[in-house]
Amino acid sequence: MRLFILSLLAACAQALHSYEAGVTDWHKPFAGVPLLHSDSTSPVFHRSKREDGQSSSVVLSATQSNVLAAYHSVNGSLAWRHLFEDDDNIIAFEKDKDVVATLSGPGGAHFRIFDSTAGYLLSETRLHDPASGRLQEPESLGTTIAFGSEEKEKDIFVLTNGHTLCRLDRRTGEVRWGWTAPDQTSLVVYSKIRVTPSTVYLLGLTKSFASYTLHITSLSPETGELINSGDYPSSITSGLSEVFILSDVNNPDTNPQIVWLEEGAIKSFRLTPDLKSKFSVVKGAVYKTIEDVGLSEHGQFVATTDDGSGRVVKLTPEGLKVIWEFSDSATSPQRSGSIYSGGVDVAGFPYIARVFWMHSLRLASAHVFAAHLAEGKGLVTGFTFPFKTGEHGVIRHVAVEAANPEPYRVLARLALTTSTGAVQMWQQDQLQWSREEGLADIRVAELVELPEPKIASHSDRDQETFSARVARQLLDAKDFPQYAVNFVRRFVTGSYASVSASVAPSANTSEPLSRDAFGFRKVIVAATSHGKLYGIDSANGEILWSRVFGLGWAAQVGGQIVPVKMFVTRTVTDGDSPQVVVVTQRKANNGLVDTVIFHVDALTGDDARDKSQSVDVLQGEDIVSGPLVEAYLLRTEAGRAVVCLDEFLQVHVYPGNDEATHALEKILPSLRIPLRTGPPGQRWLTGHQVPQQVEFTGKHIAYPTWSLPFPPTEDIRAIFARPSGPVASFGKVLGNRTTLYKYLNPNLVGVVTGPPSTAPPSDSAACSIYLVDGGKGTIIYHTVLPSVAGACDVKAALVENWLVYHYYDNEVGVNQAKGHRVVSVELYEGYGVDDKRRSSELSSLSNETTAVSVYEQAYIFPRGIRTLTPTSTSYGITVKDIIVANENNQIQSFPRRFLDPRRPKQKPTAEEAEEWLIQYDPVLPDDPKRVLSHNYQVAKTRRIITSPALLESTSLVFAYGLDLFFTRVAPSNTFDVLSESFNKPQLVITIAGLALAIAVAKPIVARKRLRERWYN
Amino acid sequence: MSTSTEVSKWRHLPPPPGFAPAVSSSKASGKSVATATATASYEELKAKRAWDLAISPAKSLPMQAFMLYMSGGGVQIFSMGIVFMLLSSPFKNLASINTAFAPFAPASSSSKSLSTLPLQKIAYLVCNLLTLALGLWKCRSMGLLPTGTGDWLAFETRGQPPEILLV
Repeated sequence: MRLFILSLLAACAQALHSYEAGVTDWHKPFAGVPLLHSDSTSPVFHRSKREDGQSSSVVLSATQSNVLAAYHSVNGSLAWRHLFEDDDNIIAFEKDKDVVATLSGPGGAHFRIFDSTAGYLLSETRLHDPASGRLQEPESLGTTIAFGSEEKEKDIFVLTNGHTLCRLDRRTGEVRWGWTAPDQTSLVVYSKIRVTPSTVYLLGLTKSFASYTLHITSLSPETGELINSGDYPSSITSGLSEVFILSDVNNPDTNPQIVWLEEGAIKSFRLTPDLKSKFSVVKGAVYKTIEDVGLSEHGQFVATTDDGSGRVVKLTPEGLKVIWEFSDSATSPQRSGSIYSGGVDVAGFPYIARVFWMHSLRLASAHVFAAHLAEGKGLVTGFTFPFKTGEHGVIRHVAVEAANPEPYRVLARLALTTSTGAVQMWQQDQLQWSREEGLADIRVAELVELPEPKIASHSDRDQETFSARVARQLLDAKDFPQYAVNFVRRFVTGSYASVSASVAPSANTSEPLSRDAFGFRKVIVAATSHGKLYGIDSANGEILWSRVFGLGWAAQVGGQIVPVKMFVTRTVTDGDSPQVVVVTQRKANNGLVDTVIFHVDALTGDDARDKSQSVDVLQGEDIVSGPLVEAYLLRTEAGRAVVCLDEFLQVHVYPGNDEATHALEKILPSLRIPLRTGPPGQRWLTGHQVPQQVEFTGKHIAYPTWSLPFPPTEDIRAIFARPSGPVASFGKVLGNRTTLYKYLNPNLVGVVTGPPSTAPPSDSAACSIYLVDGGKGTIIYHTVLPSVAGACDVKAALVENWLVYHYYDNEVGVNQAKGHRVVSVELYEGYGVDDKRRSSELSSLSNETTAVSVYEQAYIFPRGIRTLTPTSTSYGITVKDIIVANENNQIQSFPRRFLDPRRPKQKPTAEEAEEWLIQYDPVLPDDPKRVLSHNYQVAKTRRIITSPALLESTSLVFAYGLDLFFTRVAPSNTFDVLSESFNKPQLVITIAGLALAIAVAKPIVARKRLRERWYN
Repeated sequence: MSTSTEVSKWRHLPPPPGFAPAVSSSKASGKSVATATATASYEELKAKRAWDLAISPAKSLPMQAFMLYMSGGGVQIFSMGIVFMLLSSPFKNLASINTAFAPFAPASSSSKSLSTLPLQKIAYLVCNLLTLALGLWKCRSMGLLPTGTGDWLAFETRGQPPEILLV
């Protein structure tokens, strides 16, 4: 009981206080990189009128992280975001006044309505079973949302699965009527809706031999009755991107028209309810593409002619008419291709922007065309803006919003999405804000220690003459009184660094990066899959530097850089500024895959190879011309080297200088490399060694030495190893002072297996966890876990001799319930206490590596988790807690003491109590005080990195996924610093008082003694 | 006793002026027998007292054991004080063993020599060892003796493994 109370007290001391939130931690919410492949998901401006007549503008976007988000146009902050479940992909969204409607899931199974200003979910409707949803390619095919034609309270028309149309109530999401195409097996896939007061037109394509044919159906908007349906002779080759329906909201009498491109000609077809009219052709030029710029309801679109110049085509009562041609828009080597985008102003007038990059000026340029201005003749306003292509890549998408404050003046706001995942807002040539949404997709990250602050200036001391030195020191001595005063003041008042204070630098300092007193401040180096490398200050989450990965030769054909691993190759303790190596795979668009290494200074982002300028893109070194199998960091005599294995198991080393190669050759015979081999369904774990002789290619080629076949029902899902932290104690001392020696076999590797992805999902499939000796393939520990419909949701971590894993148990038995479980496993040497085998220095060839005793216990975990990580500290003395990212979008810590597998099943005996063991309780307490993330929503966390601080008691925690979150934890409390409440003035005053008392009493006592001698 | 002690201790000092030798010299021959018996009984008495001293540590053992019992098993200032006393006093006693037994030394032998009163001294040694054992037993019961492997764990070291695993 006493121990329990103690543990509770410890828990109280652990909890995060509200005044610490935002000081010791930070949280950066993101929405993810906008989805650009479809118009129905890409960023768009939305202006909604508030009740007081003012209007506010947001940028709405669906993102690759499966989030629907709205940014304030004014400052770029996240107005709201809605996280969709991982199996519920967002397919389309459509906005109207105060609502945003979305379709998500296979075939558009789920329909939701959100409030557009606050993001509240107003209603949610399941339109069909997700399992019966048709998966189309692309995903957005066959699913569309359209708003009705009423003046107010427009109902919503939703097309799902390519053949079902529903009319839903705008407020409640209730289905008013539904219509399903009678012949669902046919090749017709509907894709577009257009609603007029009298008719709902559905536009679909019928697949024929070489092209598509138009298929149009008209329905009554009130009842959903079929009016007419039919195929229309046409031959469309490029699919639905170049077929759309034009109408004009400002001129509702004009019948809508279908527009498509057929053999270089723009053809159109007037829609009437009976679907009886003839198609017409726009004459004048040969067109390459036509593009719906989001203004189809305003009757405008952009057509590109054969030479690349863009023309604006408008729907008029007389038919389609070319109303404008952008000047100098023809294809030219001086500028990039144009991106066209449409937007509206407050009054609802359409504008079309053309954005392109001028290679000669290295500036981006925008031309905004307004058809209604200049007495209807059309007006173009142009401006250039300094887009930083070296920092943000190229512009991939533009959304535009315009204002027309006075005649002949157009102000445009552009929301750009770049290839590195940044979302930027430009108002004319001014950058309003920029968001690095690419950080929602970090692939690899590392925390890098900072150097100590440089106090004295080290100005060429070596060359200094004696007299100059004396003069300098005399000059320096003038600061001594101030120093002495400061010293006394500091000594008396005790204004030392506090562990609960922020370590962020004050705003106006321009000092070089340096660590704080406790080493809480580090640089987070993170690489995203959008080809950008960031250095982030761990004190406040600000971006210190960023670099764009260069494509090398693939810049000609285009490509993508996917970071695979990141290693810190030089740390502060090595004496110089820390350096980081990123191992990436470059997937060029011509299909070639190469392995490229980027090597940067972690403090500045400068190229450590001195091959690229700091303003330009970062150039890498092609280390393998081919894909990478694995990359490792190896500590050699010549410092740290990166070792890469290619497809042929050739060993490549970086840096490739002689020193590193020789150092590598020395340790080659002792390398043991377990790799996954074999085709799917026949996965083996195969151990490799590297011979000292080079092959004729000049490279060492690893050869297999052993292999561990898994059953055919198991496929390797993950391999994990223990982190390379120091081990403070080689054993665990029991209450009777005997020792259980920790099993610290350095070759221990964890393997998670599961049913192969090719196998049909079944409940009988099982997942497994193995602990394998990676030096010889012996299985040390094995357990079988249930799978959830063939999916393995097992999260495991291995630290020292402790394996902890989490899974969902869906098996129901007697006295058993479904639920999340966490299992804690500890491995000890030998078969009992005091059985010392010295496992951490054993050769893998020794028989003693299999002498293991296993202690394990299972606990019921409160909820599902996304990832788990043990804390890490600089000497490994502090207890290792488990940090998890739970399904409630929180980061929570679970104390090691609750997860001890040796917790007794009965009341602890005196000896067990001496070990601080508490009685086994199957339910792990879900302590809200142990939530590290305050009230932030730390969404979709993929990985948590822990890193030691200088203080042994404290571990730094960095979580990334959709959001970034950083905090620090002290699992055993901050035992190595004085408590904040320590009263130093009191101590100083007491000592000073005593000293004074001694000074006063000493002569009195001496006098008294002397007198006693005389008169006694 | 005190007289004898003083005599034995200070017998090499010259007597103060006008003291006994002049008075006793006339009766020396008559009283020599009586003096001899008195001296013998002194020696006997001294030997007895030496034995008393030799076994005195053992006599206090029950009391000390009771104090230890009362002071409890926790590591606190009182129990530590008693344990410290128990552990230190045997060494202190043994260090001054010759001085302690000097008053009881027979006149025939040198009072400070280790070989005088050998039996008593051995008994004294044994009794002190008993006290020490009691102290050590208490230490052990408080868990202060490094007897288990756990007490030496912090000093254990491990070398580098012969192989390097790359995962």
